[in-house]
Amino acid sequence: MERDTSFVNINVLFFAKSRELAKTSRAEFTVKSVLIARNLLNQLIDRFNLNTISNNLILAHNENYIENLDTEINLQKGDEIAVIPPISGG
Amino acid sequence: MDHIQLLNDKIDINLIHQLLIDQSCGACSVFLGTTRDNFEGKNVISLEYEAYENMALKEMGKICTDLRVRWPSLKHIVIYHRLGIVPVSEVSVVIAASAPHRVAALESVNFAIDQLKSRVPIWKKEVYEKDLIGEWKANVECPWPQYSKTSLRTFEFFSCKIDQKTENIPDKLVQIRVDDSELNRRVKCFLKRKRDEINLYNIHDFKQLSTNTELADSSESEVKYSCARTQSSLVKQQQSKSHLKVRREIDNSGPHVRPNYSSQLNKLTTAQHYKNDSFENSMLRNSRLRNIEEYMCVTSDGDNILNRIKNIENKILLLESISPEYKYFVSIFIIVYQMFILSNS
Repeated sequence: MERDTSFVNINVLFFAKSRELAKTSRAEFTVKSVLIARNLLNQLIDRFNLNTISNNLILAHNENYIENLDTEINLQKGDEIAVIPPISGG
Repeated sequence: MDHIQLLNDKIDINLIHQLLIDQSCGACSVFLGTTRDNFEGKNVISLEYEAYENMALKEMGKICTDLRVRWPSLKHIVIYHRLGIVPVSEVSVVIAASAPHRVAALESVNFAIDQLKSRVPIWKKEVYEKDLIGEWKANVECPWPQYSKTSLRTFEFFSCKIDQKTENIPDKLVQIRVDDSELNRRVKCFLKRKRDEINLYNIHDFKQLSTNTELADSSESEVKYSCARTQSSLVKQQQSKSHLKVRREIDNSGPHVRPNYSSQLNKLTTAQHYKNDSFENSMLRNSRLRNIEEYMCVTSDGDNILNRIKNIENKILLLESISPEYKYFVSIFIIVYQMFILSNS
Protein backbone atom coordinates (compact mmCIF):
# COMPACT_ATOMS: atom_id res chain seq x y z
CA MET A 1 0.00 0.00 0.00
CA GLU A 2 2.73 2.42 0.95
CA ARG A 3 4.48 1.77 -2.35
CA ASP A 4 1.43 3.01 -4.25
CA THR A 5 1.26 6.36 -2.53
CA SER A 6 4.94 7.31 -2.71
CA PHE A 7 5.95 9.94 -5.24
CA VAL A 8 9.22 10.26 -7.16
CA ASN A 9 10.91 12.92 -9.24
CA ILE A 10 11.57 11.94 -12.81
CA ASN A 11 13.14 13.69 -15.79
CA VAL A 12 10.93 14.17 -18.80
CA LEU A 13 12.36 14.76 -22.27
CA PHE A 14 10.47 16.28 -25.16
CA PHE A 15 11.26 16.03 -28.84
CA ALA A 16 10.12 17.51 -32.13
CA LYS A 17 6.53 18.76 -32.00
CA SER A 18 6.10 17.87 -28.32
CA ARG A 19 9.21 19.93 -27.52
CA GLU A 20 7.74 22.91 -29.34
CA LEU A 21 4.39 22.60 -27.57
CA ALA A 22 5.95 22.08 -24.13
CA LYS A 23 8.34 24.97 -24.87
CA THR A 24 11.14 22.99 -23.26
CA SER A 25 13.21 19.94 -24.08
CA ARG A 26 13.61 18.81 -20.51
CA ALA A 27 11.57 19.09 -17.32
CA GLU A 28 11.32 17.58 -13.87
CA PHE A 29 8.07 15.97 -12.94
CA THR A 30 6.73 14.45 -9.75
CA VAL A 31 4.59 11.40 -10.12
CA LYS A 32 3.46 8.26 -8.32
CA SER A 33 6.21 5.68 -8.44
CA VAL A 34 3.88 2.92 -9.63
CA LEU A 35 1.25 3.68 -12.23
CA ILE A 36 -0.21 2.75 -15.59
CA ALA A 37 1.85 4.23 -18.42
CA ARG A 38 -1.22 5.80 -20.03
CA ASN A 39 -2.00 7.59 -16.78
CA LEU A 40 1.50 9.09 -16.78
CA LEU A 41 1.12 10.12 -20.43
CA ASN A 42 -2.21 11.79 -19.69
CA GLN A 43 -0.67 13.73 -16.81
CA LEU A 44 2.15 14.89 -19.06
CA ILE A 45 -0.31 15.88 -21.80
CA ASP A 46 -2.26 18.01 -19.34
CA ARG A 47 0.75 19.54 -17.68
CA PHE A 48 2.73 20.33 -20.84
CA ASN A 49 0.03 21.46 -23.22
CA LEU A 50 0.22 18.48 -25.58
CA ASN A 51 -3.50 18.19 -26.25
CA THR A 52 -3.28 18.76 -29.98
CA ILE A 53 -1.06 15.70 -30.48
CA SER A 54 -2.35 13.62 -27.56
CA ASN A 55 -3.44 10.78 -29.86
CA ASN A 56 -0.03 10.50 -31.48
CA LEU A 57 2.30 10.03 -28.54
CA ILE A 58 4.10 7.14 -26.96
CA LEU A 59 6.61 7.03 -24.11
CA ALA A 60 10.09 5.71 -23.63
CA HIS A 61 11.28 4.73 -20.16
CA ASN A 62 15.05 4.90 -19.70
CA GLU A 63 15.60 4.75 -23.47
CA ASN A 64 13.28 1.84 -24.07
CA TYR A 65 9.90 2.13 -25.69
CA ILE A 66 6.91 1.36 -23.52
CA GLU A 67 5.30 -0.97 -26.02
CA ASN A 68 1.90 -1.09 -24.35
CA LEU A 69 0.59 2.01 -22.61
CA ASP A 70 -1.73 -0.12 -20.47
CA THR A 71 1.13 -1.75 -18.62
CA GLU A 72 2.12 -0.73 -15.13
CA ILE A 73 5.49 0.95 -14.78
CA ASN A 74 7.80 1.27 -11.79
CA LEU A 75 9.62 4.56 -11.58
CA GLN A 76 12.77 5.25 -9.62
CA LYS A 77 14.06 8.68 -8.67
CA GLY A 78 15.82 10.27 -11.64
CA ASP A 79 14.34 7.93 -14.24
CA GLU A 80 14.15 9.30 -17.75
CA ILE A 81 10.79 9.39 -19.50
CA ALA A 82 10.77 10.60 -23.11
CA VAL A 83 7.66 11.80 -24.89
CA ILE A 84 7.95 10.42 -28.39
CA PRO A 85 5.84 11.83 -31.23
CA PRO A 86 5.68 9.88 -34.52
CA ILE A 87 9.23 9.45 -35.78
CA SER A 88 10.47 10.57 -39.18
CA GLY A 89 14.10 9.57 -39.49
CA GLY A 90 15.73 8.38 -42.68
CA MET B 1 32.09 -4.68 -37.45
CA ASP B 2 29.16 -2.37 -36.69
CA HIS B 3 29.62 1.34 -37.39
CA ILE B 4 26.92 3.48 -35.88
CA GLN B 5 26.96 7.27 -35.81
CA LEU B 6 24.83 10.36 -35.57
CA LEU B 7 26.72 13.22 -37.14
CA ASN B 8 26.30 16.90 -37.87
CA ASP B 9 28.58 17.11 -40.90
CA LYS B 10 28.39 15.97 -44.46
CA ILE B 11 28.73 12.21 -44.84
CA ASP B 12 31.80 11.10 -46.82
CA ILE B 13 30.77 8.25 -49.10
CA ASN B 14 34.38 7.17 -49.73
CA LEU B 15 34.88 6.73 -46.02
CA ILE B 16 31.82 4.48 -45.89
CA HIS B 17 33.24 2.42 -48.70
CA GLN B 18 36.50 1.97 -46.82
CA LEU B 19 34.59 0.80 -43.73
CA LEU B 20 32.83 -1.87 -45.79
CA ILE B 21 35.73 -3.25 -47.81
CA ASP B 22 36.90 -6.69 -46.78
CA GLN B 23 38.90 -9.27 -48.68
CA SER B 24 36.40 -12.00 -47.87
CA CYS B 25 33.46 -10.05 -49.27
CA GLY B 26 32.11 -10.12 -52.80
CA ALA B 27 29.30 -7.63 -52.24
CA CYS B 28 28.88 -4.17 -50.75
CA SER B 29 25.36 -2.77 -50.65
CA VAL B 30 24.96 0.93 -49.86
CA PHE B 31 21.70 2.79 -49.44
CA LEU B 32 21.87 6.58 -49.45
CA GLY B 33 18.82 8.48 -48.30
CA THR B 34 18.90 12.00 -49.70
CA THR B 35 16.76 15.03 -48.92
CA ARG B 36 14.08 15.99 -51.41
CA ASP B 37 13.18 19.51 -52.48
CA ASN B 38 9.43 19.01 -52.60
CA PHE B 39 6.54 17.55 -50.66
CA GLU B 40 3.00 17.43 -52.06
CA GLY B 41 3.79 20.22 -54.49
CA LYS B 42 5.34 22.49 -51.85
CA ASN B 43 8.92 23.57 -52.25
CA VAL B 44 11.08 22.46 -49.35
CA ILE B 45 13.76 25.02 -48.60
CA SER B 46 15.42 23.27 -45.68
CA LEU B 47 15.25 20.16 -43.53
CA GLU B 48 16.23 19.70 -39.95
CA TYR B 49 16.79 16.47 -38.07
CA GLU B 50 16.57 16.01 -34.33
CA ALA B 51 17.21 12.83 -32.33
CA TYR B 52 16.86 11.35 -28.88
CA GLU B 53 20.52 10.65 -29.32
CA ASN B 54 21.31 8.02 -26.70
CA MET B 55 18.23 6.05 -27.47
CA ALA B 56 18.66 6.41 -31.23
CA LEU B 57 22.18 4.94 -31.00
CA LYS B 58 20.84 2.14 -28.84
CA GLU B 59 18.06 1.37 -31.33
CA MET B 60 20.52 1.46 -34.23
CA GLY B 61 22.65 -1.01 -32.31
CA LYS B 62 19.62 -3.27 -31.90
CA ILE B 63 19.06 -3.15 -35.65
CA CYS B 64 22.64 -4.32 -36.22
CA THR B 65 22.18 -7.22 -33.80
CA ASP B 66 18.95 -8.09 -35.56
CA LEU B 67 20.65 -8.04 -38.98
CA ARG B 68 23.40 -10.37 -37.82
CA VAL B 69 20.86 -12.86 -36.52
CA ARG B 70 18.97 -12.84 -39.82
CA TRP B 71 22.02 -12.73 -42.13
CA PRO B 72 24.92 -14.31 -40.21
CA SER B 73 27.26 -13.93 -43.17
CA LEU B 74 27.29 -10.10 -42.93
CA LYS B 75 30.77 -8.71 -42.43
CA HIS B 76 30.50 -4.97 -41.81
CA ILE B 77 27.41 -2.87 -41.16
CA VAL B 78 27.27 0.92 -41.35
CA ILE B 79 24.35 3.00 -40.10
CA TYR B 80 24.97 6.76 -40.22
CA HIS B 81 22.38 9.47 -39.77
CA ARG B 82 22.75 13.24 -40.17
CA LEU B 83 21.36 15.63 -37.54
CA GLY B 84 20.74 19.37 -37.64
CA ILE B 85 20.08 21.28 -40.82
CA VAL B 86 20.63 19.26 -43.98
CA PRO B 87 20.60 21.14 -47.29
CA VAL B 88 18.37 19.78 -50.04
CA SER B 89 19.82 16.84 -52.06
CA GLU B 90 22.49 15.95 -49.47
CA VAL B 91 22.72 12.54 -47.86
CA SER B 92 20.73 12.30 -44.62
CA VAL B 93 21.08 8.58 -43.96
CA VAL B 94 23.46 5.80 -44.96
CA ILE B 95 22.80 2.11 -44.51
CA ALA B 96 25.47 -0.19 -45.86
CA ALA B 97 26.51 -3.78 -45.48
CA SER B 98 29.18 -6.04 -46.89
CA ALA B 99 28.88 -9.81 -47.24
CA PRO B 100 30.51 -12.66 -49.18
CA HIS B 101 27.48 -12.82 -51.48
CA ARG B 102 25.14 -10.13 -52.77
CA VAL B 103 21.80 -11.51 -51.52
CA ALA B 104 22.63 -11.01 -47.84
CA ALA B 105 24.05 -7.55 -48.50
CA LEU B 106 21.08 -6.35 -50.57
CA GLU B 107 18.34 -7.83 -48.39
CA SER B 108 19.83 -6.75 -45.09
CA VAL B 109 20.15 -3.13 -46.21
CA ASN B 110 16.52 -3.06 -47.32
CA PHE B 111 15.42 -4.54 -44.01
CA ALA B 112 17.58 -2.14 -42.01
CA ILE B 113 16.22 1.05 -43.56
CA ASP B 114 12.65 -0.11 -42.86
CA GLN B 115 13.61 -0.81 -39.26
CA LEU B 116 15.32 2.56 -38.89
CA LYS B 117 12.27 4.38 -40.17
CA SER B 118 9.95 2.55 -37.82
CA ARG B 119 11.84 2.57 -34.50
CA VAL B 120 14.83 4.89 -34.28
CA PRO B 121 13.76 8.08 -32.47
CA ILE B 122 14.80 10.67 -35.05
CA TRP B 123 12.52 13.45 -36.28
CA LYS B 124 12.56 15.49 -39.45
CA LYS B 125 11.13 18.95 -39.86
CA GLU B 126 10.55 20.33 -43.32
CA VAL B 127 10.43 24.09 -43.86
CA TYR B 128 8.49 25.14 -46.94
CA GLU B 129 8.93 28.13 -49.19
CA LYS B 130 5.59 29.73 -48.36
CA ASP B 131 5.26 28.47 -44.78
CA LEU B 132 8.35 29.18 -42.73
CA ILE B 133 7.01 27.58 -39.53
CA GLY B 134 7.67 24.14 -40.95
CA GLU B 135 6.12 20.77 -40.33
CA TRP B 136 7.23 17.75 -38.34
CA LYS B 137 6.97 14.71 -40.54
CA ALA B 138 5.90 11.18 -39.66
CA ASN B 139 7.15 8.06 -41.42
CA VAL B 140 4.54 5.72 -42.84
CA GLU B 141 6.58 2.91 -41.26
CA CYS B 142 6.11 4.46 -37.82
CA PRO B 143 3.89 2.00 -35.91
CA TRP B 144 2.15 4.39 -33.50
CA PRO B 145 -0.68 6.77 -34.35
CA GLN B 146 0.52 9.54 -36.60
CA TYR B 147 -0.44 13.13 -37.09
CA SER B 148 -3.15 13.14 -39.64
CA LYS B 149 -5.98 15.41 -40.59
CA THR B 150 -8.51 12.98 -39.20
CA SER B 151 -6.76 12.43 -35.91
CA LEU B 152 -6.39 16.16 -35.38
CA ARG B 153 -10.09 16.64 -35.93
CA THR B 154 -11.16 13.95 -33.51
CA PHE B 155 -12.45 14.98 -30.15
CA GLU B 156 -9.78 15.61 -27.55
CA PHE B 157 -10.93 13.71 -24.55
CA PHE B 158 -8.12 14.99 -22.41
CA SER B 159 -9.25 18.57 -22.84
CA CYS B 160 -12.35 17.89 -20.77
CA LYS B 161 -11.58 15.01 -18.49
CA ILE B 162 -14.49 13.29 -16.86
CA ASP B 163 -14.14 12.97 -13.13
CA GLN B 164 -13.88 9.30 -12.27
CA LYS B 165 -15.79 9.75 -9.01
CA THR B 166 -19.18 10.54 -10.50
CA GLU B 167 -21.72 8.47 -8.64
CA ASN B 168 -24.97 10.44 -8.62
CA ILE B 169 -25.40 10.66 -12.36
CA PRO B 170 -28.99 11.43 -13.40
CA ASP B 171 -30.65 8.53 -15.21
CA LYS B 172 -31.10 10.51 -18.40
CA LEU B 173 -27.35 10.97 -18.87
CA VAL B 174 -25.37 8.24 -20.52
CA GLN B 175 -21.64 7.98 -20.47
CA ILE B 176 -20.19 6.24 -23.49
CA ARG B 177 -16.67 4.95 -23.21
CA VAL B 178 -15.46 3.79 -26.59
CA ASP B 179 -12.50 4.59 -28.79
CA ASP B 180 -12.45 7.27 -31.48
CA SER B 181 -13.29 5.05 -34.43
CA GLU B 182 -16.32 3.57 -32.71
CA LEU B 183 -17.48 7.01 -31.63
CA ASN B 184 -17.06 8.35 -35.16
CA ARG B 185 -19.03 5.43 -36.49
CA ARG B 186 -21.89 6.09 -34.09
CA VAL B 187 -21.96 9.80 -34.89
CA LYS B 188 -22.04 8.99 -38.61
CA CYS B 189 -24.89 6.52 -38.10
CA PHE B 190 -26.81 9.11 -36.11
CA LEU B 191 -26.35 11.76 -38.82
CA LYS B 192 -27.41 9.31 -41.50
CA ARG B 193 -30.54 8.30 -39.61
CA LYS B 194 -31.53 11.94 -39.05
CA ARG B 195 -31.02 12.73 -42.72
CA ASP B 196 -33.17 9.75 -43.72
CA GLU B 197 -35.89 10.86 -41.33
CA ILE B 198 -35.93 14.36 -42.82
CA ASN B 199 -36.09 12.92 -46.32
CA LEU B 200 -39.02 10.73 -45.33
CA TYR B 201 -40.90 13.69 -43.82
CA ASN B 202 -40.29 15.68 -46.97
CA ILE B 203 -41.83 12.91 -49.03
CA HIS B 204 -44.82 12.72 -46.70
CA ASP B 205 -45.35 16.45 -46.90
CA PHE B 206 -45.01 16.48 -50.64
CA LYS B 207 -47.52 13.77 -51.38
CA GLN B 208 -49.89 14.41 -48.54
CA LEU B 209 -52.80 15.47 -50.70
CA SER B 210 -52.88 12.19 -52.58
CA THR B 211 -52.84 10.17 -49.37
CA ASN B 212 -55.41 12.52 -47.95
CA THR B 213 -57.96 11.81 -50.67
CA GLU B 214 -57.53 8.09 -50.15
CA LEU B 215 -57.56 8.11 -46.40
CA ALA B 216 -59.49 11.27 -45.75
CA ASP B 217 -60.23 10.77 -42.09
CA SER B 218 -57.17 8.97 -40.84
CA SER B 219 -54.60 11.42 -42.17
CA GLU B 220 -56.49 14.59 -41.41
CA SER B 221 -54.58 15.19 -38.23
CA GLU B 222 -51.29 14.82 -40.10
CA VAL B 223 -52.28 17.48 -42.59
CA LYS B 224 -52.54 20.01 -39.84
CA TYR B 225 -48.95 19.50 -38.79
CA SER B 226 -47.42 19.51 -42.22
CA CYS B 227 -45.09 22.41 -42.82
CA ALA B 228 -45.21 22.11 -46.58
CA ARG B 229 -46.86 25.12 -48.11
CA THR B 230 -47.58 23.59 -51.48
CA GLN B 231 -48.65 20.07 -52.20
CA SER B 232 -48.71 18.05 -55.31
CA SER B 233 -51.04 15.48 -56.65
CA LEU B 234 -48.98 12.61 -58.00
CA VAL B 235 -50.53 10.63 -60.81
CA LYS B 236 -49.04 7.49 -62.24
CA GLN B 237 -48.24 7.78 -65.92
CA GLN B 238 -50.06 5.41 -68.15
CA GLN B 239 -48.02 2.44 -69.33
CA SER B 240 -45.30 3.23 -66.83
CA LYS B 241 -44.45 1.29 -63.74
CA SER B 242 -42.23 3.77 -62.07
CA HIS B 243 -42.76 7.33 -63.21
CA LEU B 244 -45.12 9.67 -61.53
CA LYS B 245 -46.48 12.78 -63.10
CA VAL B 246 -47.22 15.87 -61.07
CA ARG B 247 -50.72 16.79 -62.06
CA ARG B 248 -51.24 19.97 -60.11
CA GLU B 249 -49.99 21.96 -57.20
CA ILE B 250 -52.34 23.18 -54.58
CA ASP B 251 -51.47 26.04 -52.35
CA ASN B 252 -53.96 25.62 -49.55
CA SER B 253 -52.16 27.34 -46.74
CA GLY B 254 -51.68 30.87 -48.06
CA PRO B 255 -53.59 33.96 -46.78
CA HIS B 256 -56.30 33.52 -49.39
CA VAL B 257 -57.71 30.44 -47.61
CA ARG B 258 -58.83 32.45 -44.58
CA PRO B 259 -62.61 32.68 -44.22
CA ASN B 260 -64.08 35.80 -45.84
CA TYR B 261 -60.67 36.66 -47.20
CA SER B 262 -61.87 38.12 -50.49
CA SER B 263 -64.74 40.10 -49.01
CA GLN B 264 -62.49 41.56 -46.32
CA LEU B 265 -59.83 42.47 -48.83
CA ASN B 266 -62.55 43.90 -51.04
CA LYS B 267 -63.81 46.08 -48.22
CA LEU B 268 -60.34 47.31 -47.35
CA THR B 269 -59.45 48.32 -50.86
CA THR B 270 -62.70 49.72 -52.29
CA ALA B 271 -65.00 50.67 -49.40
CA GLN B 272 -64.30 54.40 -49.49
CA HIS B 273 -65.06 54.69 -53.20
CA TYR B 274 -68.54 53.24 -52.76
CA LYS B 275 -69.40 55.15 -49.61
CA ASN B 276 -70.97 58.29 -51.12
CA ASP B 277 -72.43 56.81 -54.28
CA SER B 278 -76.12 56.41 -54.97
CA PHE B 279 -77.27 53.45 -57.02
CA GLU B 280 -80.05 55.43 -58.73
CA ASN B 281 -77.75 57.99 -60.29
CA SER B 282 -76.36 57.02 -63.68
CA MET B 283 -73.66 59.68 -63.37
CA LEU B 284 -72.57 58.01 -60.20
CA ARG B 285 -72.56 54.66 -61.94
CA ASN B 286 -70.18 56.23 -64.39
CA SER B 287 -68.05 57.46 -61.51
CA ARG B 288 -67.97 53.97 -60.03
CA LEU B 289 -66.64 52.63 -63.29
CA ARG B 290 -64.06 55.39 -63.27
CA ASN B 291 -63.08 54.42 -59.74
CA ILE B 292 -62.49 50.88 -60.87
CA GLU B 293 -60.51 52.05 -63.86
CA GLU B 294 -58.46 54.31 -61.65
CA TYR B 295 -57.83 51.59 -59.15
CA MET B 296 -56.82 49.11 -61.78
CA CYS B 297 -54.65 51.63 -63.63
CA VAL B 298 -56.73 51.44 -66.84
CA THR B 299 -56.97 54.65 -68.86
CA SER B 300 -60.56 55.52 -69.84
CA ASP B 301 -60.56 56.23 -73.55
CA GLY B 302 -63.72 57.88 -74.92
CA ASP B 303 -67.36 57.23 -74.17
CA ASN B 304 -67.80 53.68 -75.45
CA ILE B 305 -68.74 51.90 -72.27
CA LEU B 306 -68.25 48.42 -73.72
CA ASN B 307 -64.66 49.24 -74.67
CA ARG B 308 -64.05 50.49 -71.14
CA ILE B 309 -65.43 47.28 -69.68
CA LYS B 310 -63.38 45.29 -72.15
CA ASN B 311 -60.25 47.06 -70.98
CA ILE B 312 -61.02 46.25 -67.36
CA GLU B 313 -61.71 42.67 -68.35
CA ASN B 314 -58.31 42.41 -69.97
CA LYS B 315 -56.67 43.87 -66.91
CA ILE B 316 -58.41 41.35 -64.69
CA LEU B 317 -57.25 38.51 -66.87
CA LEU B 318 -53.73 39.83 -66.70
CA LEU B 319 -53.86 40.17 -62.94
CA GLU B 320 -55.39 36.74 -62.55
CA SER B 321 -52.64 35.23 -64.58
CA ILE B 322 -49.99 37.05 -62.55
CA SER B 323 -51.43 36.30 -59.16
CA PRO B 324 -54.48 34.40 -57.94
CA GLU B 325 -54.64 36.96 -55.13
CA TYR B 326 -56.55 39.19 -57.53
CA LYS B 327 -59.36 36.77 -58.16
CA TYR B 328 -61.69 38.77 -55.89
CA PHE B 329 -61.80 41.43 -58.60
CA VAL B 330 -63.85 39.06 -60.71
CA SER B 331 -66.87 39.41 -58.41
CA ILE B 332 -66.71 43.23 -58.52
CA PHE B 333 -66.46 43.15 -62.24
CA ILE B 334 -69.51 40.91 -62.62
CA ILE B 335 -71.67 43.24 -60.49
CA VAL B 336 -70.56 46.33 -62.40
CA TYR B 337 -70.97 44.63 -65.75
CA GLN B 338 -74.50 43.44 -65.00
CA MET B 339 -75.43 46.89 -63.76
CA PHE B 340 -74.40 48.56 -67.00
CA ILE B 341 -76.13 45.96 -69.16
CA LEU B 342 -79.33 46.63 -67.21
CA SER B 343 -79.03 50.40 -67.43
CA ASN B 344 -78.34 50.31 -71.18
CA SER B 345 -81.16 47.96 -72.08
